[in-house]
Amino acid sequence: MEIPRHVHLAELGRKTLNPLVFWGIITVVLTIVLILIVNAAGIQSGVYLLFLVPVVAYLVIMGFFITYVSKLNKERNRLLADQVRTESTKAEEFQKLNHELETYAKQLFDKDFELTFANKRLQNLEQAKSKFVSVTTHQLRTPLSAIKWTFHMLLQGSLGPTTPDQHNFIEKGFESTQRMIAIINDLLNVDYIEADRSDFNFLSVDLPKLIDGILFEFTNQAESKAIKLKFDKPKVNLPPVAADPIKLGIVLENLLDNAVKYTPQNGQVTVSIGDARMNSARSNLEVVVSDTGIGISEVEGSKIFHRFFRGSNAIKVQTDGTGLGLFISRDIIEKHGGAIWFESILGQGTKFHFTIPVFQK
Amino acid sequence: MGKDDNQKIILIVEDDEFLRSLTAKRLEKENYHIEVAVDGENAISTVEGIKPRLILLDLLLPGKDGFEVLKKIRSTESTKGIPVIIFSNLGQKEDIEKAKALGVEDFLIKANFTLDDVVEKIKKLIG
Repeated sequence: MEIPRHVHLAELGRKTLNPLVFWGIITVVLTIVLILIVNAAGIQSGVYLLFLVPVVAYLVIMGFFITYVSKLNKERNRLLADQVRTESTKAEEFQKLNHELETYAKQLFDKDFELTFANKRLQNLEQAKSKFVSVTTHQLRTPLSAIKWTFHMLLQGSLGPTTPDQHNFIEKGFESTQRMIAIINDLLNVDYIEADRSDFNFLSVDLPKLIDGILFEFTNQAESKAIKLKFDKPKVNLPPVAADPIKLGIVLENLLDNAVKYTPQNGQVTVSIGDARMNSARSNLEVVVSDTGIGISEVEGSKIFHRFFRGSNAIKVQTDGTGLGLFISRDIIEKHGGAIWFESILGQGTKFHFTIPVFQK
Repeated sequence: MGKDDNQKIILIVEDDEFLRSLTAKRLEKENYHIEVAVDGENAISTVEGIKPRLILLDLLLPGKDGFEVLKKIRSTESTKGIPVIIFSNLGQKEDIEKAKALGVEDFLIKANFTLDDVVEKIKKLIG
């Protein structure tokens, strides 16, 4: 938008003829005309003076008066022009700002559009992934069940006797199938968490009893590696915790599975429960799973809870694994309102700690 | 399949042929009489006639799925008291809740159990 008005107004003061000069000319001309008329009429000099002097005086006074008014007028025009100039500068600035604002608004709109689009695509991908994981895992579990049961029947001797050598191979086959099933279950669990379908069922849980049950699952695995599996039961009675026993079981299984897997022959895995009520505003029990295993390097420590991350030394010891156990565990503990962390010395062992709130009646 | 009167009938509803035959083989060893159904329709049409002592029910079936079979069994006067064990590879929380709401004795995920475990569960229920 252009504002041309200020140009005309500003020039108004400069272009007008000086009124004093203008009036002077009129006065002189009128005086001469009057003298000529008087002379032509042949009027006597007394009457002549009596008539001429007031007229000339009047003209001169009018001249001064007009000059004064014109000066005031000029001054007013100048002030007005100044004001208009300032305001038009302001208007220009405002226009510029407005323009900038429009540009930003447009950029913002474009970004918003891009983001909405990207978000929509991500959601679609997420859905496709969930569906893929869910279908594949279920479809995979059926043939795996068949393989597992067959191996198991062979191992039990229900399909006839096997030689010790055959038995060994069948056992390896059975164990591999078990591992594969565990990986699929892990994948399903991740999908479970991400889709946020899990509503936790918080109950009053007797922690030592839960730990006893889970430890029992690991006796064979530990024995086969001559690992000492120990549970330092607390000497005093501890209050129950508020937990989903199935979910908390998954955490304990993951921590114990890692501990046994990554501890060499003749090592030791210990579980203990501490009372963390004194150290914190909220009442918590603290569980520690410690091992004499390969440890976690300082560099990799920050990534240990990341999804699909596996320590480089862990991969060397055990080639299969999803890198999901700790990711899932942290998610579960955090949904309980607890915390999980670890201390480790590379090559000497690792201690995983987690806290679980005490059950409030 | 010959059946003496002391044998308890178990109906296995399973669409996968190999899993079905393995399960049947294992349960016959325990001296149960086994009847099989290969899909939902088949299960619904046989269950009233044979009056099994227990049903081992898969969920993912062609046509009518396990949930529909379960609904039908539970809403029919003569079959609603038959114990049902879900034996499936579905096992998300909502599947379990849904089955429980319809009334099942147990929910076993095939891959996580062996047939010996299943035998144990069945023995606990019907001896």
